[in-house]
Amino acid sequence: MNKFGGSLGTWLGKVLPAVVFGALFLGFWEWAVKFFELKPYFLTAPSAIWEQFVKNFPLIRGAATVSGTNALVGLVAGTVLGVAMSFVLSRFKFLNQIITPLAVALNAVPIFVLVAVLNNMYSITSEVPRRIMVALVVYFIVLVNVARGLTQVSSTHVELMRSYAASDVAILRKVRIPNAIPFLFVSLKIAAPAAVITAFVSEYFGGSQNGLGSRISSNIANSKNAAGWAYVLGACLLGLLFYSFSVVMEGLNRKGRAR
Amino acid sequence: MSAVNIRNVSKAFNEGKPNQVDALRDVNLEVQQGEFVSLIGPSGCGKSTLLRLIANLLEPSSGEVSVNGKSAVQARLDQDYGMAFQQAGLFDWRTVRKNIELPLELKGWEKPDRRARADEMLQLVQLPEFGDHYPWQLSGGMQQRIAIARALAAHPPLLLMDEPFGALDEMTREYMQGELLRICAATGTTVVFVTHSIPEAVYLSNRVVVMSPRPGRITKVVDVALGADRTEDTRNRTPFFEAITAVREGLRGMHAAHVGMGNDDR
Ligand SMILES: Nc1ncnc2c1ncn2[C@@H]1O[C@H](COP(=O)(O)OP(=O)(O)O)[C@@H](O)[C@H]1O
Ligand SMILES: [Mg+2]
Repeated sequence: MNKFGGSLGTWLGKVLPAVVFGALFLGFWEWAVKFFELKPYFLTAPSAIWEQFVKNFPLIRGAATVSGTNALVGLVAGTVLGVAMSFVLSRFKFLNQIITPLAVALNAVPIFVLVAVLNNMYSITSEVPRRIMVALVVYFIVLVNVARGLTQVSSTHVELMRSYAASDVAILRKVRIPNAIPFLFVSLKIAAPAAVITAFVSEYFGGSQNGLGSRISSNIANSKNAAGWAYVLGACLLGLLFYSFSVVMEGLNRKGRAR
Repeated sequence: MSAVNIRNVSKAFNEGKPNQVDALRDVNLEVQQGEFVSLIGPSGCGKSTLLRLIANLLEPSSGEVSVNGKSAVQARLDQDYGMAFQQAGLFDWRTVRKNIELPLELKGWEKPDRRARADEMLQLVQLPEFGDHYPWQLSGGMQQRIAIARALAAHPPLLLMDEPFGALDEMTREYMQGELLRICAATGTTVVFVTHSIPEAVYLSNRVVVMSPRPGRITKVVDVALGADRTEDTRNRTPFFEAITAVREGLRGMHAAHVGMGNDDR
């Protein structure tokens, strides 16, 4: 009871400043729009955005489902492929030396523009190009990190295993894979938000106008700024959902290691 | 049958390349069953290389290494030795007990047998209540004791140690030396021990092997006449100081020769 009260207290202590800051910020925003009589196309008041959000909620939810599904499918596919490939890389040193620098470099460039090329390969209403794009972004993040976890093992550990006459398979199972698990969680923590962002952005390169990203641009283009902002709010919430997924992942990792 | 027999062993890294290093040249050393032998010498004189040759983690460039009358390869495959390093090298994701069980797992032991042996080893290193802890919950000295327990879990006749107490503070270090002697006396294990502390080498060993660098070779072997029963009091006895002086002279003679200072006795 006491312990629970204590942790609730520290939780409040962490969350309260953020909530107060958020409320003040929104209050100031609302006040600034009214006081300076800002035109809606310049800046929309939070109250107007909220109104639109409530009014259009079913539509926003539908669009969020489309973008969210793309992000999720891509995240899962990219993770599976990335983990599989990292095993291949860790097995063949020369491949690792060629592909890892390339993958690291690719993580630093906006490869989601490739979705424009992918769009040409599929029908105009297909979600596949966007999912491939998300998977590709996730793939490289997971690949680089997990391959690192599989190869960067302590030399003392490897020497110990060799002194036990352990086979390569035994070293993989008992040293390399356990060593790579935290790297996998780290990569998911990076990849989950990247997946949502890629899913949104890839909607700007054509295809059906059904996701959050395309709705934001079409509403703004039609001067429906408040509605556009309402979709932005939806995008923020979806992003938060994926972010909390990675936070949970991190927590599981810590708990698994009892740290 | 000697525990370790090293005959005319040389080891060069990057052989035939411009960056060739002659880590060891013409080394001969025989270690008897139950003996405690220390290798001492300045950094880079090939102590770790020699230990890794015995462990068959490296192959000699020339010469022969045999362990328990077998080739070094066969001895490794038979897990005839246990090994401990400066880093305890425990696996963070395994409990202390699971760490000790690892060599037994790889030997294919059944779970109840492994567990019984791990508990026996925890008793031996006097940490019976820490089986379910994780390594990072233990102090450096405790981790090193677990590493020793793991190295001895399969009851190997030979223990190879590379500066195992190098990262510990002086107090813990002396305590661990006493513990190691107690454990070796209880198990009858032969030990080859690398250190660069002269008192440590003398306190622990029946023989101290002094090595010198470039190329790595054995320059002197000091017999330590301290008998089997060593206590804290041993550190205050004359034979202890005599052996320390002998080892120091071995190291210094080589240093003087190396920098060309003749017999200068500073
Ligand atoms: N894998 C290696 N490749 C090249 N040189 C090495 C390697 N391992 C050790 N050496 C060299 O061999 C010499 C002996 O090293 P080592 O046995 O580690 O010395 P010590 O343990 O006595 O400090 C050193 O000059 C070291 O740089
Ligand atoms: Mg060394």
